[in-house]
Amino acid sequence: MIVLRKPFAKAGPLNILMAALVLAWTALQMVPARAATTASAPGAVVYFHYPLDGARVPQRFTVKIGLKEMGVAPAGVVKEFTGHHHLLVDTDMVPLDQPIPSDYNHIHLGNGQTETVLTLPPGTHTLQLLLGDHQHIPHQPPVMSKKITIYVR
Amino acid sequence: MRQSVSLVTQRLKDLGAAVRSGNLFVLEAHVSVTGEQLMYRFFFRVCLVVLAIITLDARIEASAQQPVRKPSAPNARIFFVDLKDGATVPSKLKIRFGIENMEVAPAGTVKPNTGHHHLLIDTGLPPLDQPIPSDFNHIHFGGGQIEAEITLPAGEHTLQLLLGDQSHIPHQPPVFSEVIHVRVDPATVEKARTPAPAGAGVFFVEPADGATVGRKLTVKFGISGMELVPAGTSKPNSGHHHLLIDAPLPAFDREIPSDLNHVHFGRAQTEAEINLTPGDHTLQLLLGDHEHIAHDPPVFSKVIHIHVADAAPDKAPPQAAAADGRRPSPPDAAVYFIYPGNGERIYPNSTIRFGLRNMGVAPAGVFKPNTGHHHLMIDVETPPLDRPLPSDLNHIHFGNGQTEKKITLSPGEHTLQLILADEKHMPHDPPVISERIKVTVKAAVRPPARRRFRR
Repeated sequence: MIVLRKPFAKAGPLNILMAALVLAWTALQMVPARAATTASAPGAVVYFHYPLDGARVPQRFTVKIGLKEMGVAPAGVVKEFTGHHHLLVDTDMVPLDQPIPSDYNHIHLGNGQTETVLTLPPGTHTLQLLLGDHQHIPHQPPVMSKKITIYVR
Repeated sequence: MRQSVSLVTQRLKDLGAAVRSGNLFVLEAHVSVTGEQLMYRFFFRVCLVVLAIITLDARIEASAQQPVRKPSAPNARIFFVDLKDGATVPSKLKIRFGIENMEVAPAGTVKPNTGHHHLLIDTGLPPLDQPIPSDFNHIHFGGGQIEAEITLPAGEHTLQLLLGDQSHIPHQPPVFSEVIHVRVDPATVEKARTPAPAGAGVFFVEPADGATVGRKLTVKFGISGMELVPAGTSKPNSGHHHLLIDAPLPAFDREIPSDLNHVHFGRAQTEAEINLTPGDHTLQLLLGDHEHIAHDPPVFSKVIHIHVADAAPDKAPPQAAAADGRRPSPPDAAVYFIYPGNGERIYPNSTIRFGLRNMGVAPAGVFKPNTGHHHLMIDVETPPLDRPLPSDLNHIHFGNGQTEKKITLSPGEHTLQLILADEKHMPHDPPVISERIKVTVKAAVRPPARRRFRR
C-alpha cells in the first residue's frame, strides 16, 4: 500500500515491479470465489457392497452402497458430515469443484437411497461412487470409491 | 550456373505448391527472365498463393463438415435374431438384434468397437457419412437396447439394421444387416379406438374443486351421454372410469396404466374411498373402453385440485387417530442387515451394516417423503410401533443418516433388529422393520480382519 502512494511518474523499475505485484495480487483476489465446499468427515469411505470389482452380473442388478464414518441425507439437506450418493457409470471422475452432472452416466440418489437397480447392456462397464453434498458438489476432501469394472452377461 | 539452379529449384517449388493445391493448370513454363516477365511472374505467384489459400480453405471446411467415422471391427456383423426374410408376423412384434465381433453401448459412449442399433423400416440405407436421421422410419436404440417391440400396419414391410457410433454416424466400413421382408397379418392389426359420441362427459360429484378434505376421502363421479359398463364389456357408447391421482393424462392409444396414480373402476363403480397424504393433490377422471383404452375422442373431466389437511376431520374413523402422525411408507420398502447374517458368529467389535430397499435415508429432523433413518434394537423385543422409538443403549438411533456402525458386544448370544423411523423417530405406516436376527459373539482373540476395503 505504501508503494501505491508514491507518484507513478517517477517510479523506478523496482517500484513498477512492486506495483505490478500488488495489481496481480488484487486481480487474484477478484477471481470469482468458487462455490464453498463442504468438509467430509476424517476417515470417510464410500464403497460397494455389491457388485465387487470384477464381478459378473446380470443385465438388471442392484447396486448396494456402503458409507463409513458419514451419514446419508437427501439432496438439499444441510447437515454436517452427511451427503448423498452418486453412481458414475462408464465415465471418468468428474471435476470435483462443481456440481456432479445429472444424466444416464451420473446417477443421483438424491432421496438418500443406499441402493439402486441398474440395467446395463451386456459387456464390460465401470462403476464408481462419489458422495455429493446438499448442492451435489463433492466434499473436501472428496469421498469416492475406487472405479470398479464389472462384466454384464 | 548457380542462378539457373536456383531458378529450377524455384520452379520445382512452384510445381510442388501447384500440385499440393490441386491447381494443375499453372504448369506454365518460364523460359527466360526479362524484367516484364519478372513482373508477370510476381503477379502470377500472388494469384497462385491466393488460389492455394482458397483451395486449402475449402478443403478444411469440407473436412470439418464431414464428421469422423469410427472404424468398425473386422468381421463385425449385425442381424435379426429369429426373424427370417419373407416371414409373416403379427402387427405388434418383438424383434431382437444380434451383434457379432462388436459390442452394444448406449449412444454417447466413447469406446472403440461399440455402437448402437438403428432400425430402418421401409426405407433404404441413409447417407453413411452423416448421422442417421431419427424419425418413424429410422428408429434409434440409443439406450443400447438389444430388443424392441414395434407395431407395423398390415401389408408388406422391409426391416434393416444399421449400427451407429456414439454420435449416430455409421462406422467405416458400415455395419448393417441384410434387408428383411415381412408381411403383417391383417388379422392381428389392432382395432381403432372405440368411438365416443359427441358431448359425452365425465365429471366429479364430490369433492369440489379447491376443497379441503381429510386424509381418507370419498370420491364420487358421474357420466353423461354414455353408458357405464364393467371392464371387458364391449358395447357401443360405453366405458368405465379411471381416476388419475396426481398424474397427467396418459397416452390415449394404449391401455391406461394401473397403479397407485391410475385407479381403475372396472366394476363400473361411481364412487371410491381413497387415502391421500397431507398436502395438495390433483384428481382427474378418464373414461376407458372395455380394454381400458381411452375413447376417440377421449372422454375426460377437468383437473380438480384438493387440499388434504394434516389433521383428520371429524368424518375420519376413530381408529385412524392412533395411526395419526405416522408417515406412510411405500409398499415394497424393506430394511435389512447386510452384515451380519442371521445365526452368524461375529467378533465383539463388529461393524453392523444396514441395507434399505425402495426408500432413502434422511437424518433425524429432516422430512422428505419415503425417507427415514435407521434404529438398531439390541437384545430387546420389538418396541411398540405407534410411538417414537426409545433412545438408550439397547435402542440405538442413527440420526445422522449413518448406514453402518461399529458396536461392541459381550461374548455370547445377542439379537439385532432394524427399524426405520421418520424424522421424529416414529416408525412408518406400515412399519419398515427387519427380521430379528441372532448372532453369536465369540471371545476376542484377535481384531477382525478387514474383508472389504482398505484405507
